[in-house]
Parts: sequence; structure tokens; C-alpha cells
Amino acid sequence: MYELRCESLEKSFGSFALQALDLAIQPGEFFSLLGPSGCGKTTVLRLLGGFEQPGRGRIMLGERDITRLPPHKRNVHTVFQRYALFPHLNVFENVAFSLRLKKLPRAEIARRVEETMSLTEIGQLAQRRINQLSGGQAQRVALARALVDQPAVLLLDEPFSALDPSLRVRVREELRAICKKVGATFILVTHDQEEALQLSDRLAVMRDGRCLQVGTPKMIYEDPADAFVASFIGPVNEIRGELAETQPGEWSVNSPAGTFRVKKNGTPLPREVSMLLRPEKMRLLRQKSSAQENLIEGEILDLTYLGSRTEYTIRSRDSIFKVSEAEMERQKKRLLNPRDRVFLSWKSEDAILLPQTGPAR
Amino acid sequence: MKVEVKRLVLRLRDWPPSAWIFFAWLVCLSLLPFLIIFAMSFAVRSPGGDIAWTFTLANYERAFHLVYLRVLTKTVFLSAGATLTCLLVGFPVAYYLARASHAQRQIGLILLFIPFWTNFILRIYGIVSIFGNHGLLNQLLMRWGLVDTPVEILYTRAGVYLGLVYNYLPFLVVPLFSALEKFDLSLREAAMDLGANRWQTFTRVLLPNVKEGVAVGSLFVFIPMMGEYVIPDLLGGAKEVFLGKVMVEQFFTMHDWPFGSALASILSLGLVLAVWLRMSLERTRSQTTSS
Repeated sequence: MYELRCESLEKSFGSFALQALDLAIQPGEFFSLLGPSGCGKTTVLRLLGGFEQPGRGRIMLGERDITRLPPHKRNVHTVFQRYALFPHLNVFENVAFSLRLKKLPRAEIARRVEETMSLTEIGQLAQRRINQLSGGQAQRVALARALVDQPAVLLLDEPFSALDPSLRVRVREELRAICKKVGATFILVTHDQEEALQLSDRLAVMRDGRCLQVGTPKMIYEDPADAFVASFIGPVNEIRGELAETQPGEWSVNSPAGTFRVKKNGTPLPREVSMLLRPEKMRLLRQKSSAQENLIEGEILDLTYLGSRTEYTIRSRDSIFKVSEAEMERQKKRLLNPRDRVFLSWKSEDAILLPQTGPAR
Repeated sequence: MKVEVKRLVLRLRDWPPSAWIFFAWLVCLSLLPFLIIFAMSFAVRSPGGDIAWTFTLANYERAFHLVYLRVLTKTVFLSAGATLTCLLVGFPVAYYLARASHAQRQIGLILLFIPFWTNFILRIYGIVSIFGNHGLLNQLLMRWGLVDTPVEILYTRAGVYLGLVYNYLPFLVVPLFSALEKFDLSLREAAMDLGANRWQTFTRVLLPNVKEGVAVGSLFVFIPMMGEYVIPDLLGGAKEVFLGKVMVEQFFTMHDWPFGSALASILSLGLVLAVWLRMSLERTRSQTTSS
């Protein structure tokens, strides 16, 4: 198994440009490229698959430079977005396609195809025609077809977008299990942050042809590199203010909404900062409590009951806050209603501090 | 059989007007003329050249004589060869058009058919003026010193061949184009991704997915080629026999309508049989693979 490296990979067409991308993806890693449409994630995938040639830079698989290799000479296979299964072949022959090209002995082809089909749980579909498959089955066939040849790297282009939402979560779990079982490197392209968080060992967040941050899901969620990453990976509330050192080592943010204590890590910050708060890191209180350090008073505008959690929309002066509470006693749930006055509170270390960028939200 | 006919008649009442028009067209312009020809093929030519309605199989006996079988084989081979050439030339053209932008596609298809806005006979004479012994091509070849005497293309088998390919090419490009247009390009990428080189991608993925279009298009040109009369007559000269020419001769030179009808019936029934065989073969194959 080999490490996959992109070295200052560049590609431009029309007004789009992928800007010097450097990535090192570990063997056997489940890696995601996450970003909105037009961010360049699919371009990276097509460069890795050999369907596009980069303007500059190299792609290394282990010690081998594969930048200029055509798709059929790379040990890299793709699961296409709409699966691209061959309609003139049945399921078995679709899966066997790459092995037949290698002219392997019949018995070995049969053995490996059956092995892979049982891995993706489509053994009973072997003789089916492609137009007789459901979306979920087609996806499993596409996966088996790409895996049967034991590629070093498997590329997945939004593989869940054609599936029912109810099916997605289960299939994701299975996909991750398969990745760990076969030991190949999986690279997933997606615009769905939940998908990227659930599946990836590490992920890269991209925007406008640029890679903004690479890290584990936890790192990116808790310590986003900028406001875009923070809000793309999950909802945030923003409070803008001025950073001030009240005592040596003690910091606070002064804003129109009040003064809030914050924990500052080593990274240097300008005076004007954005304080970002995740909805689930905020608590709702009926009464002011002296034990809480950061408090904002507001009024509940709306609430949405979602079973495992309840989401509140709260207005405080001119700002709107989103709060999501999971652990709540029944009593408290019953007590909170629209138009109630409440207090928002959070722990100082849960606030994310970033330099201000763009207009306030 | 009787029950089926009854059911068909009952269903006639439910037919929409469009079906009636189609049915009437089919009967008046296709089925009835064929039946007349077919009936005539069992009649006898009277010494004066009229048709005597006496039942005989003599026309068929004569038609299966070696001379006519030779004409038939020759016609089949020439038509098949011309069809194959049309395929080889037409496939890249259709592939380009199917992948081109909307505007390019419109222009390309119009250009392909512009010659057909001119009368057929005029186009054939156009070919004569280019490929004839004193035509443009031979004049150029001789001026450049490539040949000393004119290359004989017209009034040979090559002339017939050229005329067939030229005239039928667009009619093969169109069905090929519509088949290739439906072909999902991501299948090509998938094949390459899984280790297929260009040739393997073509033979294992592209061709199997457009073979229906190839078959339909080939039949579309092969069948009318088999009955072609004007092209072999004008470009093939007196030496080149072609089934269509022999039939026309029987009708209008020899005034032997019954024998001409027998030849025509054999050709029509043979083609119908071939198409039917192909279709039923296709049906059984798709049944066995899907079960």
C-alpha cells in the first residue's frame, strides 16, 4: 500500500483555477474532499483518476509519478456519481470487467468476483441486468466493480447523492467498514459535511479552487481555520467584538452584546475578532445564574422539536442565535415556549476565536 | 389462429384514427402492391407479352437457375460491401456529430443532407463528371503525371460501389448518430478507469451499447441497395449486372412481368425472412440473459 501525494497540483479551465494543492494521503486512510459545488473537489478527483491533466505539479503514488499516466494504467479506480454501470452486461460481468481485461484464468475471475460481491452483499444479484437494480444495489455493484481489482486508491464521486436519505446513513457505515477491511485508500468527494464527518479519518475543506484546511473531523469542527470552514462544517453563531487582555493571560471580547470571557490559544489574533459559537455548545437558562460566566439575554422566537434534540431560534437585540439542546429534562422542555425570556450561556473554552472576515452575518 | 383473428377484429373497433391512417397506408401502398406482384409471379407470360393468369411455378424454377443466383450473390456482396464501407466512414462522422455542440451538430447534419436537396439523377451525373474518363479526377491525375491513361472508374464495379456509398451514407449516419447520442460518456470513462485501453473501450463498451443502432442503420441502407436500379444502370454500364437491373429488364425490355415478379418476390421475401430471423434471434438472446 502506498501513500498518495499531490505536489503543488494546479489546473485551470475557463474562470476556474485549482491553486497549488499539496496533500499527503496515508495508505488505507479514508480521506474526504469537502466543499460547495465549484470548489474544485471533483477536479482533484478527475486529476487523480487520470481523466484530466494538471497544468502544473505532480501526483505521486508511493515513489511512482503517475501524473501523466492514462486512467487504464493507474492502480486507481473510481466509483462514479451515477455509477456508470455497463448496461449491456449483467452484474457479474460488470464486476468482472477489469479482471477479464487482465485475461486472468476463468476460475480465478469467478472466485474474486464472488468474493467481492459477497463483501458488498450483492452475491444474489449476479445474473441481474443493470436496469433491474435499485439505486442502493447499483451503488454496491459499482463499488464491487471498482474494488475487485484491488486498487491502491479508490475514488468516490458523491456516491450517496442518488440514494434515499434513509439509506445513506447505513450505507455510509458499511462503506467505512469495507474501506478498513480491504485496506485501500478511499478518497471521497462530497458537499455533505455530515457525510464527511461521519466517514473520514481526515478531510480537506475546499473553496474556490483552494484547500482551506486539512485535518481530522474533530480538528476541523472544533478548530476551524477560518469562518468559512467553521460555518460550512456546521452551523455557528457569530459575535463580533474587540479582543482585550483584562489581566495577564486573561482575555475577553467586548461587543455591543456584552463583554465575554474567552480562552485564547497561542495563535496571534488581530484586535477585531469574530467569536463563533456552535448551537449545541450553548445552554438555555430560565434564570440568570451567577455560576455562569457568559450570558446573553434574549427571547425565544421559534422552536423545533426534533426528538433527540430541540432547536431554538432566539433574538437578542438585533442578533439571531441558533441553539440546539439535546439533554433536557421533560420538565424544562415543557416550560420553554415561544416569546419566553431566556438566558444563553456557554463555557469560555467553547468559543472559537477567528479574525473577522467579510461582512457580519 | 382463428381465435387470434377474432380478437384482432374485435380490437379494430378500439383503434384510434391515427392507427387507421397507418393501416390504410400500409395496405394500399405496401401490402397490396406486393400481393399483386406475388400473384403475378405465378402467372404466365403470353407470347404477346401480356399476363396470362394460369398457375405455374415455372418462373421460380427459372429464377433459381445458376445465372440468376450468381446475380443475386453478386448483388448481396456488393450491397454488403457498400454497407460496410458506409459504416466505416459513417461511424466516425456520427460519433463526431453526437459529441459536438448543439450549433456544430445542426450545421453538420445540414451539410450532410445539402446534396440531397438536388435531384438524384443530377447528383449521379455529378459523379459522372468527376469520375468519368474525361472527368475532373482523371484530368488532374494526368496533369500531375500520376497516370498516363485515364483510370476507369465509371462503368465498372467500382463505379457502382462508389455510387452506392455516396448515395446511402447519410441514411446510415442518422441512425448511428441517434444511437451514439444516447451513449453515456461516463461509461467510456468507467471502462478506461477499469483498465481498458482505447480499442478495448471501443469494442467492449461503446460498440455493444450502440449495436442496435448499427444493425438498424445497416438494414436501413442494405435493403434499398439490394433493389437499387438507377445507380448500377447509370454508373455500372452494360457489363455490370445487378439484381435491380435484371428485374427492370424483365419488366420493360423483355415484357416478362411474371418472371420479373418472381425475382422481386424472392428478393422481398428473402429480406423479410432475414429481418425476422435477426429479430427473433435478438429476442431469444435477451430472454436467456435476463432470466
